[in-house]
Amino acid sequence: MRKITIDPITRLEGHGKIEIFLHPDGSVENVYFQVPELRGFEKFCEGRPVEELPSIVTKICGVCPGCHHMASGKAIDAVFGVTPPPTAVKLRELFYMAHFVHSHIAHFYALAAPDFVVGPTSDPAERNILGVISKVGIEIGTEVIKQRRIAQEIQALIGGHQTHVIMNTPGGVKKGITEEQRDDIVKKAEGFVEFSKFSVQLFKDVVLGNKDYVDIILNGPYSLKLHSMGLVDANNKVNFYDGRVRVVDTEGKELYKYSPNEYTDFIEERVEPWSYLKFPYLKKIGWKGFVEGQDSSVYQATPLSRLNASDGMATPIAQKEYEAMYAILGGKPVHATLAMHWARLIELIYASEHCLELALDSEITGKELRSPLGKIVGEGVGIVEAQRGTLTHHYWTDDRGMVKKVNLIVGTTNNNAAICMSLKKAAQGLIKKDMEVTEGTLNMIEMAFRAYDPCFSCATHSLPGQMKMELILKDLEGKILRTIKRN
Amino acid sequence: MTSFAERSGKILVLGIGNEILTDDGIGVRLVDDLQAKCFSAEIVFDKGTVGGLEILEIIQGYREVLFLDAIKTNEGKPGEIYHMDLSDFLETSHLSNLHDVSFIEAIRLGRELGFDLPEKLHIFAVEIVEDMVFSINFTAEIEKQYPVILDTAEHFIRSMIEMNEPVESPV
Repeated sequence: MRKITIDPITRLEGHGKIEIFLHPDGSVENVYFQVPELRGFEKFCEGRPVEELPSIVTKICGVCPGCHHMASGKAIDAVFGVTPPPTAVKLRELFYMAHFVHSHIAHFYALAAPDFVVGPTSDPAERNILGVISKVGIEIGTEVIKQRRIAQEIQALIGGHQTHVIMNTPGGVKKGITEEQRDDIVKKAEGFVEFSKFSVQLFKDVVLGNKDYVDIILNGPYSLKLHSMGLVDANNKVNFYDGRVRVVDTEGKELYKYSPNEYTDFIEERVEPWSYLKFPYLKKIGWKGFVEGQDSSVYQATPLSRLNASDGMATPIAQKEYEAMYAILGGKPVHATLAMHWARLIELIYASEHCLELALDSEITGKELRSPLGKIVGEGVGIVEAQRGTLTHHYWTDDRGMVKKVNLIVGTTNNNAAICMSLKKAAQGLIKKDMEVTEGTLNMIEMAFRAYDPCFSCATHSLPGQMKMELILKDLEGKILRTIKRN
Repeated sequence: MTSFAERSGKILVLGIGNEILTDDGIGVRLVDDLQAKCFSAEIVFDKGTVGGLEILEIIQGYREVLFLDAIKTNEGKPGEIYHMDLSDFLETSHLSNLHDVSFIEAIRLGRELGFDLPEKLHIFAVEIVEDMVFSINFTAEIEKQYPVILDTAEHFIRSMIEMNEPVESPV
């Protein structure tokens, strides 16, 4: 059997390795996706005051620090048995919408668009954000940088720092915003709404306007029939910050809806000997293996899953686009992996609209920022939607609030099994017997997981030298037959 | 964040890394220590976590930028220092963030979009041992080498300041 190794993966946050095992005839037998894992976080946290964790967890990951800060903030609220006042909740959400805006813009224009605007098998030297800008125009590139920067400015204003956020404290937030600052955010959020509408239209024009791309999305080796998970509000609308976790089956029927503190009744994690990263699955179904279909216990927690698991979006333009997507793709739920890009842009609209709603809310400049603390409960769970999946923080403390134990299920970990399955399906569909495996083929395999916007910063950021992609063909004895390198 | 007007003609020394991941935080600690040693109105010290598009916002307007970062190569010795610029760029731990564009792409993009980018970009990368374990302490190897690393960085910054000083015109 031959082995193909893609290591490290390009345009994936963190660094991973894909190993593709080939039969002697060149067809794909299996695919393994591996990432190294950071160690010792739990030990690092043990014995610290639990209220320090929201600031510590922002240093786990430079990509989604705001998500960890929010999940952590909610977990410490629970530990102290306290509910933040409305102004504090709204400020947290306002910060969080800006966090989604900046992240979703970066993913679409820097990571997703090169495959569609420039082309999945185009020259890799051009298949990047520069190639995108050369196609859509410099003014769009300038706008991408500008809107992303503005979102960061809002985060820095409300969060105290755009990356190392310090706003959350047990029972609320440390500071509020003034009327003048609110007026400024309103103007900025209006800009987000316009830019997000433009981005969805660009996707429709470039992707849906190209029959080949539509064919790749709907009929290529990129579909995966799994259950869908997402946080929903009381009306079952998508919510990034709060609510209950809803899981719908492969047909769209509700399987479970649970509160954050019930997650251990529904989710269990599995260890595989070939991976450092755990594989969460639906506990009540039980582990059935890496299989698709209604009987599987594997689920996805992605932008598309969030839309699948909900009954709609809580803002008007996003709702309209939600309805349009399902109408075009044949109804709910959608299992086309590459439709995650479309779903992400609909979420961008929602985040922009909700950012504006919150900025216009009369309570956003309120002065009651923190509720009195209750008795230390000793255990707390906080769940939010990170850009790349449902994020769970679970803390245990002693009766003085000193940390005894920590458990995190990060966004991408939810999708670990699904990513492995998507890669295998893409590799099996794209690598045929006796064919030459080109760089373009490799990129199309990578597209299968890039759609998940996977981020392994929580798990890795070791980089052994130049960032490159390397494919190694080996014979059964391990002798290298051929190497393809791509910088 | 300093305004673009305040940055004009100045040098930015930017330490990047994660200070709770053992040796990974070397760039950040260097900035903390160098700030006390190399006071100059011409220098701004700052810290960051990742590269990508954010780098463009951080470095715009400065005349020169020195990145202090960690690196892991296959054959390097702990504490070994690499001084690089864009022409011989070797990826360090944080300058490229794979959720985002690469460092080189970010610079090319900035130039394409007409940003006021520094004339010179220096990368001062320290070969580290461990960046996968949470700890606020360096490994023994890096801790032992740290005074030499700090001296080397200080010397380099002083040479940058000297090069930056305007030459008095002969009367």
